[in-house]
Amino acid sequence: MDGEHQYHTRSKGSTVGSKDLDFSDDSANTDNSDYDNGFVDDEDEAEYGLTQSGKSRASNYGSRKSAGGKKNGTKNSAKSGSKASNANDTLNKLAAKDQNFLHGLQHDAPADFVPDVVSGLFRSSDFSYLKLKPDHASRPLWISPGDARVILESFSPLAEQAQDFLVTIAEPISRPSHIHEYKITAYSLYAAVSVGLETDDIIAVLDRLSKVPVADSITNFIKSATVSYGKVKLVIKHNRYFVETSQADILQMLLKDSVIGALRIDSETSPAAEENQPTKEGSLDYKHQAAKIDPNDVEAVFSSVVGEIQLDDDNEDIDAVHAFEIANGSVEIVKKRCQEIDYPVLEEYDFRNDHRNPDLDIDLKPSTQIRPYQEKSLSKMFGNGRARSGIIVLPCGAGKTLVGITAACTIKKSVIVLCTSSVSVMQWRQQFLQWCTLQPENVAVFTSDNKEMFQTESGLVVSTYSMVANTRNRSHDSQKVMDFLTGREWGFIILDEVHVVPAAMFRRVVTTIAAHAKLGLTATLVREDDKISDLNFLIGPKLYEANWMELSQKGHIANVQCAEVWCPMTAEFYQEYLRESARKRMLLYIMNPTKFQACQFLIQYHEKRGDKIIVFSDNVYALQEYALKLGKPFIYGSTPQQERMNILQNFQFNDQINTIFLSKVGDTSIDLPEATCLIQISSHYGSRRQEAQRLGRILRAKRRNDEGFNAFFYSLVSKDTQEMYYSTKRQAFLVDQGYAFKVITHLHGMETLPNLAYSTARERRELLQEVLLKNEEAAGIEIGDDAENSVGRGGPGKKAKSKAVRGEGSLSGLAGGEDMAYLEYSSNKNKDLRDHHPLIRKMYYRNMKK
Amino acid sequence: MSSAPFKATVNEYLEDLPPQVQSRLYTSPATCLAIYRLLPKLAKFFIMSMVFNENDVSLRDLDRWVQSNGKFQLNEAIKSMKSLHLLIEGRSEQPFMINLNSIFRSSFRNALTGGEVNNSFGNVVENEHEVVLPEMLDQYAANKWESILHFMVGTPLTQTPSRNVLSLLQHSKLMEENNTGELQITNEGFQFLLQDANAQIWTLLLQYLRLAETLQMDPVDVLNFIFMLGALELGKAYSDSHLSDTQKIMLQDMRDYGLVFQKASNTSKFYPTRLAAMLTSDSMSIRSASSAMNTVLSQGTSSNSKADDTTAASDGREQDGTQVGIAARNIPDGAVVLETNFKIYSYSNSPLQIAILSLFVHLKARFSNMVTGQITRESIRRALLNGITADQIIAYMETHAHPQMRRLAEQTLDKKLELDPNCKEGLQILPPTVVDQVKLWQLELDRIINYDGYLFTDFDNSQEYSLLCDYSNDIGVLLWKDDKKRRFFVSQEGNAQVIDYAKRKLKKK
Repeated sequence: MDGEHQYHTRSKGSTVGSKDLDFSDDSANTDNSDYDNGFVDDEDEAEYGLTQSGKSRASNYGSRKSAGGKKNGTKNSAKSGSKASNANDTLNKLAAKDQNFLHGLQHDAPADFVPDVVSGLFRSSDFSYLKLKPDHASRPLWISPGDARVILESFSPLAEQAQDFLVTIAEPISRPSHIHEYKITAYSLYAAVSVGLETDDIIAVLDRLSKVPVADSITNFIKSATVSYGKVKLVIKHNRYFVETSQADILQMLLKDSVIGALRIDSETSPAAEENQPTKEGSLDYKHQAAKIDPNDVEAVFSSVVGEIQLDDDNEDIDAVHAFEIANGSVEIVKKRCQEIDYPVLEEYDFRNDHRNPDLDIDLKPSTQIRPYQEKSLSKMFGNGRARSGIIVLPCGAGKTLVGITAACTIKKSVIVLCTSSVSVMQWRQQFLQWCTLQPENVAVFTSDNKEMFQTESGLVVSTYSMVANTRNRSHDSQKVMDFLTGREWGFIILDEVHVVPAAMFRRVVTTIAAHAKLGLTATLVREDDKISDLNFLIGPKLYEANWMELSQKGHIANVQCAEVWCPMTAEFYQEYLRESARKRMLLYIMNPTKFQACQFLIQYHEKRGDKIIVFSDNVYALQEYALKLGKPFIYGSTPQQERMNILQNFQFNDQINTIFLSKVGDTSIDLPEATCLIQISSHYGSRRQEAQRLGRILRAKRRNDEGFNAFFYSLVSKDTQEMYYSTKRQAFLVDQGYAFKVITHLHGMETLPNLAYSTARERRELLQEVLLKNEEAAGIEIGDDAENSVGRGGPGKKAKSKAVRGEGSLSGLAGGEDMAYLEYSSNKNKDLRDHHPLIRKMYYRNMKK
Repeated sequence: MSSAPFKATVNEYLEDLPPQVQSRLYTSPATCLAIYRLLPKLAKFFIMSMVFNENDVSLRDLDRWVQSNGKFQLNEAIKSMKSLHLLIEGRSEQPFMINLNSIFRSSFRNALTGGEVNNSFGNVVENEHEVVLPEMLDQYAANKWESILHFMVGTPLTQTPSRNVLSLLQHSKLMEENNTGELQITNEGFQFLLQDANAQIWTLLLQYLRLAETLQMDPVDVLNFIFMLGALELGKAYSDSHLSDTQKIMLQDMRDYGLVFQKASNTSKFYPTRLAAMLTSDSMSIRSASSAMNTVLSQGTSSNSKADDTTAASDGREQDGTQVGIAARNIPDGAVVLETNFKIYSYSNSPLQIAILSLFVHLKARFSNMVTGQITRESIRRALLNGITADQIIAYMETHAHPQMRRLAEQTLDKKLELDPNCKEGLQILPPTVVDQVKLWQLELDRIINYDGYLFTDFDNSQEYSLLCDYSNDIGVLLWKDDKKRRFFVSQEGNAQVIDYAKRKLKKK
């Protein structure tokens, strides 16, 4: 430890230090790249909870050491992360690529680079050896060679173009007001390639936008990640399957492959052959143009970035193509084989040339207006005149539904929509009828209560995941509908709220329903367990992710003031808190009287301002206690449908009902544009997704366009308890989107509130007694007692069975990951449903039996 | 910082010296010139008007020279001259008649006319063969000085400043020993780092003077030498032959600070560096917090107007490019962007700036003109435990805020004022949430508050107890009470009042 040593001598200088240091030995050259003390290592892991890939990293690390940082570590790690399915294999490979990249290239600083005195502070992240370009001031990016992070100055005049480009090729990490961060990952590059960007374009544009030269490590990474992805496309034309690629050598390679080559069907009329000639010229032309651009000319940089993206979007379809046909039956084998040889196929749907499936008479109504960002997201999907499968990420309330509807109107084939609850089924149906010209007779709804089929030759079906993925015995009616669904070919499938559905269920849905194009919609593509990346392969890459702050500035979603209210624990409660078990502790900090008072105060304050308030509590016991004490209506899992509708309608239209209490059932898909204020009293550990989804409830506030309107989001947190830790974790996603949580330590005027609850010590003691008498179950969050909410939860049933042991969970479990984990039973996929606790099973299937 | 342990300026130090010492000081022409240069502008003018005028001057005349809106400056000037005993009562002993200190007058005349100077401006050694280039001197000075600052910040270094420097740092409480015996920066030390170089040198020199007094060194000798250094010419060699013994010892120390350069420790020649030349000059050659504020302010407005141009000129793309370039290039070194997600980006490549940042930021990556980092609870706590306060951290980030942050803050404030003209909020340059959080982290550390005060106990009856207890509550000095055991605690300030009250009330009975 060179650095360590020097560090000590320095500090001891006061006693040992040499007097009269000579000037000549002043070169302060410290090579302490090994300098190693309290800095957080592996911050990526800490931040994103890559629990699963941690293992593969470790093994990778070993292999890299022996292989000297070569890229072929992929194979090793794929073995180590031995999961059964193909997707997982590929996932591991991708992850391995990232890992390799992160560790394999640290020391490419030029030999003549002399670290200065502070270089040691950065360890291997000192990139000051990258010389600035002379005109760096007018370029907006830095690219870190170490971890492929891209830092963007959002105030640069080129920022808007750079943002468009980056959102295509990289994952947005944080997008606050001034400086944005993105990260180039193997997944994001896969997505970039799939929307038609070429390796060279990516590198060239990055180089033009970057203040520093793009390091070789980045170039190599981009090359290695894009060389094989997205090069092979599977296209359905005239209902025949073609394997397409733009590079002849790849086609040759595929044809020579023992598996794929054998499956080729010779066809005289390959459409690709006709397209070949004219397109070559087109693409050459454009390459030539790109080469002419002088990188020092700001204007040229400007136009080239914009121009290039547009060119990619518009001219893609005349690009050179080589193709061969395969039989319908062998599609599955080819897909699998392509994945094995590291050339996963992209699926595209050439809907305009699909004459076999009947067209659906559907169009947007003339009055329907598409917002610019919705158009942008759709342009990624339909970039080359065909429909790509993928995921579009838009904040809650930003009009995801309309994006789905517009996509359906573009494809104009039979559509199936899957969502999470019967409430949202009705909302989707209603939205379809509202925005487009679809006739009601073409729309069918398939839920436990309604089992309809459309009678026309094409139409729309709206259903829930659980209805379609159900593998148990069905009633006669629903079996008939299922046969109808599986028996035909669908042009387009829309998968709403994709983040909540686990992989196993998805796979079932995707395999049972034959759809040409898939579109996933979500607001929060984050999970504590990082398994979100499965979706990349089940649906497709992320096509677009909107910037929350930008939408809020332009008035598309409401402006929200976020606050975290610190409620000190009263002495009695804290005493008990320190004594109790982990689960009881939770109950204590939720039922903290100060928190109750804060809640009461905020409700009163905002009701006076004329706000409509939703109070969220994950804990049903607290929900009831709070609501009953304050005399407000509440909805939780066991509330009957009729009563729910009644309460919601009163909340919307009755000016006497300004506050409602919702349990977890209200997290997603409840559309209440009247609500302008949210108060959160208990929540699901450290789930970033839940926080964002809850915030989403007020983003679509009706009054958002009023001058100076602010919606309010309060999170009540008991001070000095576990809740503080979770709260910080929960906010991470929103904070990275640019939201700022103001900490309120004291609510002014709370003590003087008339009728303040628990203001006397006696009342507080009584409450404490009551809480202590509750058994641990009350501390649990609502589980399983709501069919819609437990969509695809493999886990909860098991947990309910062993609740006493639950105190000791994994970190990801505490962070909210475990509850949402994908459980994959490769032996028997039905097991997860059978595995439920009898009680849960009863509750879960009660609705379906109806 | 209210508890700044060092005198803010050298002027204050001089003012506090006893008149006899001041008189001895004024015998050196070089010192007189230096003191003159340190005075306020108006005072300089008055001295120039009186230096060749033996007669008494009426204060009323001085008053008449000044316009009515300059009265404040006039008072300042007269006050500073009087406290330095430069202005004394006139010989005529009439009220309001003043004259210049005669010792000062003659020395200052000497300095101006170049008469009998007693080598107080140093002895130049002419030697054509041994020319030391100013660049080399600059490099030497910067090296020495920065190594001191780096040491304070805690950058791992191969060389430590000399022992004398270390003991001075410790003596002046800029650094202190921690449990393990290592030197660590203190609250004052951090405040010191935020000053500009000139102020820093003076701070150290004043501390040096303090130390010199305890070592029985003659402050006049020390001050004369310091002022002489300020008057020397850069790039010339001077001989130490005429220096007193005290001054020769000092020469060694000044070398450690980088104020002078010697080729070897035993040669008789020394070369002043730019740090020395800058001592008594008032030009801000090196960036200070306040001047940075000014440049940032002026830039904020100019880039605003530039942005307007950009939108107006739709066809002049080329022009835009150059303008943008200029705007970006003007970003001062060390400009900081602080985001609501606690990430911090500093446009700096200066090792010192980075080292200062590292005191309270968890640094992540570094590019040639920017470093990125994250403010975390741990990084702030580390700083707080080192004695740096939350206010200092916030002040540092605010003075170094990037022009863009200022612009955004101004825009939001404008918008707020538009909506609510009575809005009393000030300009919030840093994200308020981050500022609050940093303060909260500090509060976290001191949850236990000490109060000095007095405990009242052993009351005979509850009547007496409640009488006094209620009284102290009424006058707001009651800090704690225990009705059962009849005890209460009042603050130190309130104690006397309560006792008075007790004497009055309880005696009556």
